[in-house]
Amino acid sequence: MKSIIQVENLHKAYGQHKAVKGISFTVEEGTLFAFLGTNGAGKSTTIEILCTLLQKTSGTVRINGYDVDENNQANIRKSIGVVFQQSLLDDKLTVQENILHRGKMYSLSKDQLQQNYQFVSTYLQLADIEQKKYSALSGGQRRRADIARALIHRPQILFLDEPTTGLDPQTRQFVWQAIKRLQQESNMTVFLTTHYMEEAAVANQIVILKNGEIVAEGTPDALKTKYAYDQLEVVFQNIAEGEKWLQQNELTFTVRNGIYSIRVTSTMHALTVLKQVEPLLASFEVIKGTMDDVFIHIMHEGEAV
Amino acid sequence: MEALISLVARNNKMFRRDKTQVFFSLLSIIIVIALYGIFLQKMQVDAIEQVTKATPETITMVNEWLVAGLLSMIAVTTTLGAFGIAIQDIESKSAADFLTAPISRAKIQLSYVLNAFFIGFIFSFIAFISCEIFIVATGGQLLNGTEMMKVIGILILSVLLASTFNMFLVLFVHSQNAYSTLTTIVGTLIGFLCGVYVPFGVLPGFAQNLIMYFPISHTTVLLRDAFMQNSIQTVFAGASNEQVEAYKINFGVVYEMNGNLLTSTTSLLIIVGTTIVLAVLSILIFKKRNK
Repeated sequence: MKSIIQVENLHKAYGQHKAVKGISFTVEEGTLFAFLGTNGAGKSTTIEILCTLLQKTSGTVRINGYDVDENNQANIRKSIGVVFQQSLLDDKLTVQENILHRGKMYSLSKDQLQQNYQFVSTYLQLADIEQKKYSALSGGQRRRADIARALIHRPQILFLDEPTTGLDPQTRQFVWQAIKRLQQESNMTVFLTTHYMEEAAVANQIVILKNGEIVAEGTPDALKTKYAYDQLEVVFQNIAEGEKWLQQNELTFTVRNGIYSIRVTSTMHALTVLKQVEPLLASFEVIKGTMDDVFIHIMHEGEAV
Repeated sequence: MEALISLVARNNKMFRRDKTQVFFSLLSIIIVIALYGIFLQKMQVDAIEQVTKATPETITMVNEWLVAGLLSMIAVTTTLGAFGIAIQDIESKSAADFLTAPISRAKIQLSYVLNAFFIGFIFSFIAFISCEIFIVATGGQLLNGTEMMKVIGILILSVLLASTFNMFLVLFVHSQNAYSTLTTIVGTLIGFLCGVYVPFGVLPGFAQNLIMYFPISHTTVLLRDAFMQNSIQTVFAGASNEQVEAYKINFGVVYEMNGNLLTSTTSLLIIVGTTIVLAVLSILIFKKRNK
């Protein structure tokens, strides 16, 4: 698999403030890459450098084989599409006007532009909104138009900066399905930042940034194994006996409203515990560790990989 | 090239569809027309009556004086209004969106300048046609073909100067608030600086110098000369050369500097020279900022 984004020892400083402190990572072609971190962690700065909107202080960045240092801006920009956190299309233009005006900036032939427009319009179901002014659209409709604009030149890499923030669950699902489908069908690489950890959980690779440094990276499963724990929640028929059993077996647990949350290393570990404690149980539930747990753990503990 | 054309077309639509922006671009002009209707016309006619008898031709000449002033003002206010798109794009971060496409900052900036020029010229041309209709409707003569071409030529220069002048000013503006302040200041001052609100001769010496050294006022002078040449001859048919010259100086039809009357060629050179200097300065500032 080809590395479509290569970042090595990237630094960015604004005067004395170091926003990005020597980060390195690669993104494989056709994958979904999640770039996570709290606000101010350096995500946006990194994305702006990758999108050629900002100059780095030092380090190496290669996008689709082009070095951002050299005179490659046009080639890099032809390779990328960007959906910004805010909606940036023109309020006074219709959706179609917005997308076609932007499309003309990519030196596409008229036929190619029309063909691409048909493609994005179908993919993002723009037929009902394409003649509406952007100002008249709902949040979800705007997002569809924003994504269509980013895809009008059929880029190889799509940067999504918190694309579903503020959207209702139904629209989020629609947007997300469209992106996933597009990624799979056209082997497009998706570089995502998001605050919704369930979105990051479907990524092929995750990098977590804190204070301008990478503090964790890996596949969602690997990160969950390392930083999140499954929980076995049980209610005992006899609380005293149940609690005694937990203490005798040296299991870590917390109690709230009579529900005992026992930390287990995996679902299979939960099964082992359940088999042993079964006679004492009134009810139980196994709760899988989530990316939220991973993120909160890393942000609170600050453990480096 | 297609990218640039598309950007200019987009800027143009954005300006035309913002009715408030269009209205405020024309507000100074509306104010001048109102002031003219209330007292400016009468003031001039009264002044002329002290030299020669006021006739319908006098009214026409005074109308032409107003029209020339309006046309020079409109070039400034509409081009500045068109540059509002550039500020909106900075504040809304649309400029960042453009820059994810293979297009340079210089090309984006050029699209704003070209749009300002087109908007300025279209509005000036429409205003010119409207002014001709007004002059003919109030008993004046339609300009002949050569005179019309001359006026259109001056309008092109006037819009070109106004575009570079406003491009230079807008380079120092980065927010809607600052831009609103700038439009208010320019809108208020432009009538004075082009000698339209108050006749040149009634102003104190330093104000007269300020106007003379303000390059855009030279477009007013050229336009007045083009519009009023025939009617001045008709109105002041019986008056002495000194009286005609005094009227021309007092009403800013010609500038007098150190006892010499400035020629049209001098005004032309000032306009072209200022346009070039402002364009070069703007490019240098822009390049330095986007290193």
